[in-house]
Amino acid sequence: MGFMLPKIKKVSGIFRTKLSKFLVCRDHHCINCGTCMAVCPTGVHQRPDGYKRTKPPEHDKCIGFDCLKTDTCCVRHCPRGALKLELDPLWETLGDARWPADLIKATWHQGGTGELPPSYYNYETGQSEGGFDCLHFKYPELSSESSINNDEIDTSLELNKRSFGPKITLPIPIYGGGMSFGSIGLSVMLARAKAAQAWQTFFSTGEGGYPEELAPYDDYIITQVATGLFGVSEETLQRVRFMEFKYAQGAKPGLGGHLLGDKNTSLVAKLREAVPGTSLFSPFPFHSVYSVEDHKKHVDWIKAINPNILVAVKVSTPTDIDMVAVGSYYAGAHIINLDGGYGGTGAAPEIAKKNIAMPIEYAIPKVHKFLSAEGIRDDITLIASGGIRSALDVAKSIALGADGVVIGTAELIALGCVRCGNCERGRGCPRGIATTDPELSPLINSEWGAQRIINMYAAWRKYWVRLLKKLGLKSFKELRGRMDLLDYVNSNNQEIKNKSCKV
Amino acid sequence: MKDNLIKQILDQRRNTLPRLSTQMVSDAAEGGCGVIGFISSEKIKGKHVLQASEQMHNRGNGKGGGIAAVGLNAEQLGVPEEILQDNYLLQIAYLDPSVRETVENEFILPYFTVNHTALIAAVSDYREIKGLAVKPPDVWRYFVRVKPETLKEFETKYDNLTGRASEDEFIYQNTYRLNHKFYASLGEKRAFVVSHGRNMMVLKIVGYAEEVIKYYQLEDLQSHLWIAHQRYPTKGRVWHPGGAHPFIGLNEALIHNGDFANYHSVSECLKQHGIAPLFLTDTEVAVLLFDLWSRTYKYPLEYIIEALAPTTERDFDLLPLDKQKIYRAIQATHIHGSPDGPWFFIIGRTVPEENKIQMIGITDTSMLRPQVFALSDWDNAQRQIGLIASEKQAIDTTLQSLKEDYPDICPVADKYWNARGGSHTDGGSFVYTLSQANGSIKLSCADKFGQEVPYVSGTRPNNNGRPLAKGRVRPEADKGSQLQHSKVAAGVVPASIQDFQSIIKDSDYPALYNALTQLIQSAKQDGQQFTRTIETLTWLRDHFYPTGNKKRSSIVALMDNYLTNLFQSIAEIKQNINLPYTLVTRSEVYGDLKVSATSSERVAEAFRLPLPGSLEETLVIQADGFPSEGDDGMSRVIVEAYRKGWKKFIVFGLTGQRFCGNGLGTGSDGVRIDLYGSSGDYTASGLDGAEVYIHNAAQDQIGQILKRGKVVIFGDVGQTFMYGAKGGEVYVLGNAAGRPLIDGVGQPRVLINGTCLDYLAESFMAGDPLDDGGFVILNGIRFDDNGKVVDLATPYPGGNLFSLATGGAIYVRDPEHQVDQTQLHGGQFEPLTAQDWQLIKPYLEENERLFGISINEHLLNVNGEQKKPEEVYRKITPELVEILQSFTEDM
Repeated sequence: MGFMLPKIKKVSGIFRTKLSKFLVCRDHHCINCGTCMAVCPTGVHQRPDGYKRTKPPEHDKCIGFDCLKTDTCCVRHCPRGALKLELDPLWETLGDARWPADLIKATWHQGGTGELPPSYYNYETGQSEGGFDCLHFKYPELSSESSINNDEIDTSLELNKRSFGPKITLPIPIYGGGMSFGSIGLSVMLARAKAAQAWQTFFSTGEGGYPEELAPYDDYIITQVATGLFGVSEETLQRVRFMEFKYAQGAKPGLGGHLLGDKNTSLVAKLREAVPGTSLFSPFPFHSVYSVEDHKKHVDWIKAINPNILVAVKVSTPTDIDMVAVGSYYAGAHIINLDGGYGGTGAAPEIAKKNIAMPIEYAIPKVHKFLSAEGIRDDITLIASGGIRSALDVAKSIALGADGVVIGTAELIALGCVRCGNCERGRGCPRGIATTDPELSPLINSEWGAQRIINMYAAWRKYWVRLLKKLGLKSFKELRGRMDLLDYVNSNNQEIKNKSCKV
Repeated sequence: MKDNLIKQILDQRRNTLPRLSTQMVSDAAEGGCGVIGFISSEKIKGKHVLQASEQMHNRGNGKGGGIAAVGLNAEQLGVPEEILQDNYLLQIAYLDPSVRETVENEFILPYFTVNHTALIAAVSDYREIKGLAVKPPDVWRYFVRVKPETLKEFETKYDNLTGRASEDEFIYQNTYRLNHKFYASLGEKRAFVVSHGRNMMVLKIVGYAEEVIKYYQLEDLQSHLWIAHQRYPTKGRVWHPGGAHPFIGLNEALIHNGDFANYHSVSECLKQHGIAPLFLTDTEVAVLLFDLWSRTYKYPLEYIIEALAPTTERDFDLLPLDKQKIYRAIQATHIHGSPDGPWFFIIGRTVPEENKIQMIGITDTSMLRPQVFALSDWDNAQRQIGLIASEKQAIDTTLQSLKEDYPDICPVADKYWNARGGSHTDGGSFVYTLSQANGSIKLSCADKFGQEVPYVSGTRPNNNGRPLAKGRVRPEADKGSQLQHSKVAAGVVPASIQDFQSIIKDSDYPALYNALTQLIQSAKQDGQQFTRTIETLTWLRDHFYPTGNKKRSSIVALMDNYLTNLFQSIAEIKQNINLPYTLVTRSEVYGDLKVSATSSERVAEAFRLPLPGSLEETLVIQADGFPSEGDDGMSRVIVEAYRKGWKKFIVFGLTGQRFCGNGLGTGSDGVRIDLYGSSGDYTASGLDGAEVYIHNAAQDQIGQILKRGKVVIFGDVGQTFMYGAKGGEVYVLGNAAGRPLIDGVGQPRVLINGTCLDYLAESFMAGDPLDDGGFVILNGIRFDDNGKVVDLATPYPGGNLFSLATGGAIYVRDPEHQVDQTQLHGGQFEPLTAQDWQLIKPYLEENERLFGISINEHLLNVNGEQKKPEEVYRKITPELVEILQSFTEDM
């Protein structure tokens, strides 16, 4: 493969004070003796030359309680007992069971460095006690791990397995999920675009069209045709290589997209050709598609506009999802995207967020097996999405039977999202991500943001290489559908849970 | 007494019929499908199902096709007429032929007097039928009556079940047992009853519907009623035809386009009545419901339809009080078992007690599936035909096909219409009934409430059917009319459309032929005259005007015929004169080569298209043979020609080809496409500057995401018209079906002269019309049979108008203030201002120019009185809803 991995560049977060997991507290007993500086291997304590007093501790460099057992622990070595180690109380307020603070911080770390996070972060699973958090790889006892070269590991994804349409292979089994202009701002869209370009993959512009500034990235854009048909024109379908129908979203099945009035600014309204300030609700479902034969007509329509376009069909996960997948295949789609209920930003109504569809980890194998039984599994690409947070989640999805995944929230986390859940309010996003507000959105610089996303995927790829080797496999193609490699373990079984692929 | 009998019947079924041990699960999800049905006073040959079915391939996937024929020809079946009328026509499909003897010994010979047995003839090797992948079953036909002693014993279980009712029930139960044993149980699918009703038969296969006709050699089988179904099951490996439609009750066969959301609750409702489905599709439970309510409960048809598609909301309130009382009771009892979701049924049945044959079309309350009804007569009211289909083009194709056997039939039906689901106006259902009176068979059509659909009066030419030989004057046109029309007789070409109008109104057909022939002759002499002739013929087919005693449908068919001939003779004419037209056919564009490739570039390279001689030159495309969609479809040919520099297009002879005008891309200004024949779904979608003229009614999804440009539709338009449109100027001569202009944004400007079924401009968001936003003008008028403009009963019959809209406006012509607040959900009435009138007037003027609907004479003239615009038009704007508005800064 001629693809060169994109360059990693270290980029720091945009806030000066870094959120850390641990607090190293120094009290008035300190005599500035410098012992702590001398013992700490990670450089928490520093005193610049010419200064008498030690700088306040750089908490985020601290490796935490594990250090207490070592010989390099500042707390133990302090002659005056002036140092104390504790969990940062802020830490406990960050995140939620699905995205615990560890995972958020680890994602920031990966976005910042392109490296795997330190092992004192649990960056593989969350604490939801369900879904991917209960699935664990059974790593075989093999010595062959070392016998596979890193260069031999293939993480690519073939997007088009059919006999028609463009042949496109992605170097990583990932493309970016739909986020519309309006739900996020221009600089975030540009950051995603540049990252997609660097990784030679795609990202979806969501419903509602996109600003002209994205035109240079047309080859990496997925034009979304969603139920409101906002911003969809022949032009937006003809200038791209890839389009997706959004029939439903796992985060809010049975509902169309929502853009509450607050976020429908004049610029957003202009793109969507609607009235600024009004709430824009996309209907559910497509009014022109009430059946599978209407769906075929829908696909044919897209091909009449652009015969050489890749067609993905995004659906949520109802109980007859297997039938829907087969129907999409017969209608001529290249990709079926199952969107489970764990995903979505905060911009869905409460009632929708809490009335979700079939869990994605059930839906993937159901569809995978059904397609296999029909004899068409290798003719259609199966993509999973909805709450896939980490490199390990990606691998689990593939082992369950998906070919690849769609990532949404993790990209935003890499940009500094703290999961506060205020996404539906135009001025609610403290990080300037989920907003087009002219004062807030400049918080994100698109070059910076692109590098953060590039770095995150670079770190993920490193993780996958390690994981595949550990499983004795050379590619994701070999991993696909290997449900035998997974265990379902509830929260009590620490033994298997502790197995990890971390550094 | 009666209640007791019903209870006994249900108890017997519940207690004595075997059950499926497995849980009830729907076997194969399936969505919409292609359906067509027709019923005629004539016995029509099966081959006429072929073409319409073939053209609806894109509504099925070849995994299930079926037909039913009702009202058969006894002679063809080898039985005397009395046997056909009296006996049950039991047809059993043997998937495993070896099981026949066992089935006969167990389920036929012990109980039935068999008056006739035959194996239904079939093609010797199924692989001869192209596309057939699974061998269809052997089907045996038995004409049977239940033995008297069997029946006597059967009746002992009931207090008062006698005669036919008892025999019907025996047949029903026997079939159930047979299917349970040989089809449903243990998954051994060896044999099942395809039909058992009187004077009707069903056949179904894994394949397309027309392959049923071909395989079982039904081309020449005659029947009064045919229904055909293309199935689209989404479970791929279907190897037996049990799941294909039609499904049967007793004397009825039902086909279905759609998909219930509540299969389980309908099944549960049936279970409570002791009925268990065996084939596990929603279509089966639908017909079981129908049979339950009709045969066991003996509901009149109207109540059955109400139980299936309840009248709701405002429509319910508008019913007469006594009807409300009954309907409320029906709904209270049955609504949990009513099929919910998108569905459309066509039912063919015999009503032996009344010596009737019926075809019924029923749409769901929300009209989620497309449906078109048609009614026509030919032979000046001696013979009639009624048709129902999921696409209008299938109706037109059937009529065209019938011309082969009936040269006098008019390829344009007298009437086409849609049913308004669950409504107080037509109940969402129409029933065609064939009955015998005074020795002749007559077809009538009535809605759910029994209100007749009248036939259009007027005469047809007695030679309507035959295509005109090119450039030859008809013999009957030679004589006859000289006396009446010396001008024509003297060889002077009628100069204007007005001349033709008067000939059509006042003269006979031969005179009209004569005039047209001369017009065609003159067109062949001169390029400009050629263009004028096309315009004249087109005007005469598109417009409504008084046609005297002639039927408008015949005039339209005639003009279509002349236009087709004229287009086809372009190459010939060009040998003599300069003509700014070039004709291409499928064989010229890519011959017999099957074009399909992985890359669009290669497909386009395969097209052989001429270059335009000048910008003004028109490319005339004969649509025959171009596929409806795909890389080699009609729409791609237009796109490719456009890339080569063509800007003016005429496409004629369309048979449902989809997507015409799609794919032209950004800035297609200056392109004009004229479509003749039956254009297909999605026509004119996404235009950005081009103009499309549809010289006929249009189908579904027209103008989706339309951006800029102009669309003119000389007829009705189908479902979800202009969904998600961003702009454009659109004129519709007739009505729009359900859900027009949903999610319109930007500045779409639409004028609908008729009305629409329901849900007009839901979630409309098109700004402020007075500040460059969009709007809809709804005129609420129609043309009567005499070509005169008359007001509709109400400008808008539906219960949902402008629901949830946040922008744009509706200008409704409603001088009597019939539209009321209860129809608006988030809209409000506002007075029409001078500014509004200035805004809409140019559109009304263009409407006048296009369709001849005059502002002063027709629109502002109410019951003979001239009114001011503000007395006639009302403006509907979105109500400002606080919660949907932007949060204010201080929140």
